[in-house]
Amino acid sequence: MAAILLQTADWLFVANNWGLLLGGTAVTIALTVSSILLGFVVGFPAGAIEVYGSDRARRLVEQVGVVLRGTPLLVIIMILYFGLSISSSAFVTATIALGLRSAAYQSQIFRGALQSVDDGQLEAARAVAMSRFEAIRHVVVPQALRRSVPGFQNEFTIVLKDTSIAIVIGIGELLTTGQNLYEGGQSTAALEIFLAVSLVYFVLTFATNRSLDKLSDYYAVPEGTT
Amino acid sequence: MPREARVDRRRYLQAIGGTVATLSVAGCQSGSGDSQTLTAGTAPGFPPFEMKQDGELVGFDVELLEAVIAASEYELSGWEELEFKSLIPALNNGNVDVVAAGMTINDDRDEAIDFSDPYYSSNQAIVVRESGSFSPSSLDDLSGATVGAQKGTTGESVIKDQLIEAGTVPESNYNAYGNYVLAVEDLLNENVDVIIIDVPVANSFVADRPIESAFVHETGEQFGFGVQSGNDELAGALNSGLTTVEDDGTYRDLTEKWFGQK
Repeated sequence: MAAILLQTADWLFVANNWGLLLGGTAVTIALTVSSILLGFVVGFPAGAIEVYGSDRARRLVEQVGVVLRGTPLLVIIMILYFGLSISSSAFVTATIALGLRSAAYQSQIFRGALQSVDDGQLEAARAVAMSRFEAIRHVVVPQALRRSVPGFQNEFTIVLKDTSIAIVIGIGELLTTGQNLYEGGQSTAALEIFLAVSLVYFVLTFATNRSLDKLSDYYAVPEGTT
Repeated sequence: MPREARVDRRRYLQAIGGTVATLSVAGCQSGSGDSQTLTAGTAPGFPPFEMKQDGELVGFDVELLEAVIAASEYELSGWEELEFKSLIPALNNGNVDVVAAGMTINDDRDEAIDFSDPYYSSNQAIVVRESGSFSPSSLDDLSGATVGAQKGTTGESVIKDQLIEAGTVPESNYNAYGNYVLAVEDLLNENVDVIIIDVPVANSFVADRPIESAFVHETGEQFGFGVQSGNDELAGALNSGLTTVEDDGTYRDLTEKWFGQK
């Protein structure tokens, strides 16, 4: 079986089309980065509101979050593209869908991190005459951000792989490009293309995780060596 | 810090209900008013009707629709590539104006969208391994065999309506695939005995895989271009465009180019 599936000619086909796969990879990376950024810009304040916000604001954020987390990404994308048609650009639509879904998850990462900082820290900051906002901004948030790196790492990986769901509205990202290759060209090369595409996803995931590890080490709260 | 869930199931459902209501209102507002330029939609991965080669969208449907639109007063602004199952929603919502995707005209689809006149007739090929000893010559010969098809295609309907319903094949013997390539792959892996796919698609696979068409099951299905329900003006323009390209020989050239002997 392996002899049928893993033929040199098919690997050559993958190699000959590396330019197309590279283009798809670029789209995947762009989509991941823009979605993660949108997720952070919306998700961090949302997490902060869930911890420090007024009752009304908190309830609103929580309800929107529950709907976004409880609805499959595929459905969110389809609603935004075919239902609301928020943009004629499939890329923009996918960014908003992935970004909002990610914001809902990121808000929980940051909520957990903010809540994990001991209440005494806030009290101590207030005792040295900081305002409540200053205390949160300068004492709680820097500690919380450090603690949110592991959860954020997870979220990054999830968004990276979920970009492939954008295939449904026809974005030429990595998986779509791969699929187009074996469907339109050398149909025997399906498994080889899947393996090549998986390898790219692995490299991307590995590289981001390692970079975030480094970042985490760099910003870690210094601890005693004894 | 104790924290109770503030959103219960009922609130969640209310929120979802509100969203759906908003959407159905939004869906009523129709798309662009520009009637002269058209965006076409297709789903690559259906050789030789539409596929991507070297990053370019090519195929019989692509060239035929371009010729048909060129023969009308409309202009083609470009192609949108979507998944097959996304095409009808995209059409209904005005993301695309016309669909050319080897789409069989059937009653279910006819309720959702309108079709042009048929531009191609297809039947279903029953495909087996070239080296295998299994060579059925009618649907009855498939008794007890394992069968495969692409989800949502006419091949699947043949299996469900005429094999499983008739008791020729138990339901557990049917494997459904996301696309044709994987079905062919599994046929070669000997996980299924036969697959049922459109004749032109079978022919393009037979050319480069050790498989052969055992026999053809006549379904008499016909492909049409899809347009928004009620857009008679566009359907009429496509129909007269089809007549033009059939009369001037373009249609014959295209069938020779895409379905001719390899």
